[in-house]
Amino acid sequence: MTTTIGLVVNPAAGRDIRRLTGGASVSNNYAKRRTAGCVLAGLTLVDDVEVLVMPDSTGLADRIVDDAPDDLGVEFVDMTVTASGRDSRAAAAHFADHADAVVVLGGDGTTRDVAQTIGDVPVVSISTGTNNVVPTPVDGTVAGAAAGLVGSGAVPTAEATTRHGTIEVDVVRSEETTVIRGLATVGVLDRPFVGTRAILDPSDIVGGVVSRSSPAEIGLSGIAGGLVTHRPDDPGGVGFRLARAGENEATAPTTVRAITVPGTLSTVDVAEHRVLDDREDYAFEVDRGVISVDGEREHEVRDGTVRLRPVSDGPRLVDVESVLERAADEGRFRLG
Amino acid sequence: MVVLDIETEDGQREALRRMLTIRAFDTKAADLFSDGELPGFVHLYVGEEAVGVGACSALESDDYITSTHRGHGHCIAKGLDPDLMMAELFGKANGYCNGKGGSMHIADVDAGMLGANGIVGAGPPLATGAALTSHLKGEDTVALAFFGDGAVAQGQVHEAINLAATWSLPAVFLVENNQYGEATPVEKQHNVQNLSETAEAYNIPGFTVDGMDITAVYEAVKEARKRAADGEGPTFIEAETYRYHGHFEGDQQPYRTEEDVAIWKDRDAIESFKRRLVDAGAITEAEFDEMKAEIHQQIEDAVGKAKEAAYPDPSEAYEDMFNAAVPEISDFSSGMRADGGENR
Repeated sequence: MTTTIGLVVNPAAGRDIRRLTGGASVSNNYAKRRTAGCVLAGLTLVDDVEVLVMPDSTGLADRIVDDAPDDLGVEFVDMTVTASGRDSRAAAAHFADHADAVVVLGGDGTTRDVAQTIGDVPVVSISTGTNNVVPTPVDGTVAGAAAGLVGSGAVPTAEATTRHGTIEVDVVRSEETTVIRGLATVGVLDRPFVGTRAILDPSDIVGGVVSRSSPAEIGLSGIAGGLVTHRPDDPGGVGFRLARAGENEATAPTTVRAITVPGTLSTVDVAEHRVLDDREDYAFEVDRGVISVDGEREHEVRDGTVRLRPVSDGPRLVDVESVLERAADEGRFRLG
Repeated sequence: MVVLDIETEDGQREALRRMLTIRAFDTKAADLFSDGELPGFVHLYVGEEAVGVGACSALESDDYITSTHRGHGHCIAKGLDPDLMMAELFGKANGYCNGKGGSMHIADVDAGMLGANGIVGAGPPLATGAALTSHLKGEDTVALAFFGDGAVAQGQVHEAINLAATWSLPAVFLVENNQYGEATPVEKQHNVQNLSETAEAYNIPGFTVDGMDITAVYEAVKEARKRAADGEGPTFIEAETYRYHGHFEGDQQPYRTEEDVAIWKDRDAIESFKRRLVDAGAITEAEFDEMKAEIHQQIEDAVGKAKEAAYPDPSEAYEDMFNAAVPEISDFSSGMRADGGENR
């Protein structure tokens, strides 16, 4: 039976202002194209594979398809290109019904967009973004091989994946409620507008909720990670609020060191943090601010209540290394 | 004049006003051109307003900008007077270039506007020169070059960025990627998918922002200006935007469909910024409508005044072109050819 693999390569990932304001590395589209080529080569580890590629407006996907190995059937997803995050969501919605596994090249934002609509299809997420929490910087060939093994059923999905948590957000303004979804982190920032989207100044952070935390992660999950470690598949999450200058706190804040952006080791005062149960609310009253979702400013808020809660219904993320080791244990790399 | 500082509500309203002024000015210019009332070509900035206004809102008033053939928006964003711009479009003596430059050459050095330019990619070398001047004189001004996606492939643009990067000059290079170099889609002009990737070749920061969001352009240029003013050298910014009109008025636009244009109009920079200001309570719908009506009238008045203004006197045809007298031109204008013969 043919194994169908979806491929999302976000041409916009890894090119934001943090190349100026932080130590973020450059991820150009030539590198993405080469990585995607490696993914396609890795997929040939299993027989009878076809690949569906998300189209884009930059020509990147065209080149990936043109450069694909001859023995691999590669086609575009039939969809309208909008040159925005909607494309990743639309492609993932198609893959939810038509793919056995999906490979995503992008950052936290791209993986979140895919997660919104991918359902239970296993996702291999390769980092090409800036300072990513969810995707890992893995070689494309290795990632492609893992996707092929999981997609073909050679390694069972249940044993190859972990269910990542998410964060649900209600932004309540008078009688209007807007619902937003984050994957790893949602923050409340004291900034007037979305602007270049990146979180430029750690002193803007008011607080947030993360579905995972570790001091090895960069950004909001790193701040929470200085206090408590929360695995991506642990139910619930961590909510925290920073002490703000001029505000009296009931208890003395805890000072935490955290890597907030690449090249920046920050010291922040945490006024409060709490490990949250699944679907437990953590709220902020916001006069003027911006909500960041997975490291990017996304939504401007005026005079509203922001209610955040961790929800354990995220994407099934493939553990690349354990898939390949499991396959090797079963002799799939031995010939004869 | 209200300071263009979009960190403040007054500044946000002024930014909205300037974007609306650009749109009204260029929409009127399109009508005038189609009615045959304007001499020369016009290239319109409709759709790209957030780039010019966002960038200029991040600059200091004595900073310099260089422009392109699509320069009306840059002029208005930098604070030039629409009356004098319209007079220039009509070729009248009270225009910015005394009626001798037209749409593609509007300049006002005192305002820091070093000129629109009919030559693709001619702005960045001027910006590098202005930045070098600032550096040599020990001034704290910064020069920003607006240029298009087509210009990125021009040799002199490479030379300008390379020199500014090598000498760490206080410049900002801002590409307005409006998706087409004349009739050629950007992906058919360049072998990189993001034009900001070319910054790597100069060892300077390069990144891409949403050119339909004035706050993104503002913030990007503000950071780049700070780097330039701190002596750390230039930054390369790509603003992704879209022109709603053709390359020039009269362009049949066989290279794109109405659906292509509609996708970008859905993200219209003015509409989205207005919505955000209304949401934040910085302006009401009624105040916005009033602002639009005022601007419409201002542009109509500018046209009326331009039509009534005098053309330059033919006897001044050879003035305003060079700082020092050029003998050949003096001879020619007095009826004598350089070789001693008489002009016919």
